[in-house]
Amino acid sequence: MKLKRDQITGIVLILLGVVVAVLVSQFKVPFSVSYPGPKALPMISVVGFVVCGAGIFWESTKSKKEEPVFLVKEGWIRILVSLALLAVYILGMKYLGFLICTPVICYILTTLYAKGSKTTLKGRILFSVALTVIIYVIYVYAFGLGVPDGELFW
Amino acid sequence: MIEHLPYILSQVTMPVNLLLLLVGNIIGMIFGAIPGLSGTLAVMLFMPLTYSMEAGEAIVFLLSLWVGGCSGAFIGSVLLGIPGSPSAVATCFDGYPMTKNGQAGKALAIGMVASFLGTFFSAIAGGFLSQTVADIAFMMGPWEYFGLCFVAITMVLAISKGNMFKGLTSACIGLLLASVGFSPIDAEPRFVFDNMYLMGGLGMTVVLIGVFGVSSIVLSYGKGFDPLPAVDTKSIKGLGITLGEIKENIVNIIRSWLIGLGIGFLPGMGAGLSNLVAYSSAKNASKKQELFGKGNPEGIWASEVSNNAAIGGSMIPMAALGIPGDSTTALLIGALTIHGLEMGPMVFRNSGNVIYLMFFVVALCAIVCLVLQALGMRVFPMILKVPYHYMYPALLVISFISAYVDSSSLYKCGMMLVFAVVGIVMAFGGLPTSPLILAFILGPTLEKNMLRAFQNTGTAATFFTRPISCIFMIIGICCVFSPILKTIFAKMKKKA
Repeated sequence: MKLKRDQITGIVLILLGVVVAVLVSQFKVPFSVSYPGPKALPMISVVGFVVCGAGIFWESTKSKKEEPVFLVKEGWIRILVSLALLAVYILGMKYLGFLICTPVICYILTTLYAKGSKTTLKGRILFSVALTVIIYVIYVYAFGLGVPDGELFW
Repeated sequence: MIEHLPYILSQVTMPVNLLLLLVGNIIGMIFGAIPGLSGTLAVMLFMPLTYSMEAGEAIVFLLSLWVGGCSGAFIGSVLLGIPGSPSAVATCFDGYPMTKNGQAGKALAIGMVASFLGTFFSAIAGGFLSQTVADIAFMMGPWEYFGLCFVAITMVLAISKGNMFKGLTSACIGLLLASVGFSPIDAEPRFVFDNMYLMGGLGMTVVLIGVFGVSSIVLSYGKGFDPLPAVDTKSIKGLGITLGEIKENIVNIIRSWLIGLGIGFLPGMGAGLSNLVAYSSAKNASKKQELFGKGNPEGIWASEVSNNAAIGGSMIPMAALGIPGDSTTALLIGALTIHGLEMGPMVFRNSGNVIYLMFFVVALCAIVCLVLQALGMRVFPMILKVPYHYMYPALLVISFISAYVDSSSLYKCGMMLVFAVVGIVMAFGGLPTSPLILAFILGPTLEKNMLRAFQNTGTAATFFTRPISCIFMIIGICCVFSPILKTIFAKMKKKA
């Protein structure tokens, strides 16, 4: 039997509730009726996750409505590629710094997002460099804030 | 108050002060409009510049930065669907759909006029009420603050109408995220896993931009970009709004204004909360509830009037009690202390002229912002003509740099990416994001006051034995069970 999206959500929430409950049980300050302490707020979440997870699962099981497709396979791939690129960008900034990584990531993202649109190589390169320079000037010179320098150049 | 008028007029007519007011408003608006930056950050960054200024100059500059930032926050919400600051989260719900429907000009006009009405009248009310209202606040204890937070969070059921479980789940995720870091009072480390970056809690910028901004950009790429929306700048005449439209929404405006003023007044709360509460109240009271979230102007009126009304509201406890209404007023108290102005009840006797100057400057800033935004209204929508493949990479870069600036650490950028994934997972599960934000903002205040109340009395009964707290608790409980109660009442009506 294929699980519905809401059924998956319900199961995940119940599991999340159990994991959080285990973590909360390790807190040192005890829970008491006269003083609930630091366990109170996360325990409200735990109860919420378990009750709502069960409710979402039950409602979905009861419902005969067809769920609309959230994303097709290609869409998931596009999301994963975007997230992976952003992760590489963060890592890149750590070692190479903002000034090297930003034009590169901007160019890659612009090229990726422009698929099917009319753009030129020159335009994309110009945009990537200009954006990097503008952000750098505003943050560093106008507001006196810092941007990542890159460990390799520090 | 009249006796202070000559001093106030002498200050606001000084050319230097007028220039500072104009520049402060423009900078504040830019900070407010760009996601990740805010009026608070503007005040924080420019505060050192004011140390060498006269007290009057410093007040004019800092307040204009703050008002400009709060007023300009709706621009990002309306045009990009990414809130410029937490105070404009609810503006996104209907502002961005209006933009997608080709009504960007109308949405901006509503935001502009609503911001003006909220700020201007709250400043006037603040000026008149600050001394009197401060006395009432002395009667409120942790029970009342807890009750108020409880009501605000349970109101998420109104926001997520139609699916109570999903709304509550989202709020629970917000509470869980709010409990990361050292707990209040007991200082118990929670969910920190010996990581020093988690000990101070999760940053607002990281959670807000990650869940709302980055995730929506990545998701829209996954789903395929919509065609660029049409912009109706030609149809904008005058302010882009008629007196009839204001009259049509007058009840919503007054209600939202009162919510904004009231919440702004309460210490620790402010525009970040008032816009969400006013939005859900407007939705509950509206005859067009089904249009909320799809581009209903009532949503923008509610959100923008209330978040700007919180400015005047938060200035009341700042001036009268020396207690900050929000993070910006906390900064202002610090900045004014450097100029020899100790906020609190005595300030009315020692430097009453300065206090009334502050309220006057805020009202003046509201007018200046209105003029600047009216002039720029035909220019702002041009941002929509920028193709997605240029705008989205730029926004992603700005988002990550904002996270970096927040703590000068790339760790926060990584956390933002994690929250983008959380946003995508929530979208997959059909969980609304607004209850998460509300619970995340209110969680610490709720918990702190709950624990304080228990410390004082050692029982939960006092939440119901104190009259104001009891009213809040009853409203909150009714909110929790409202979907069930409504179904029962509807069934009873049908049977009858």
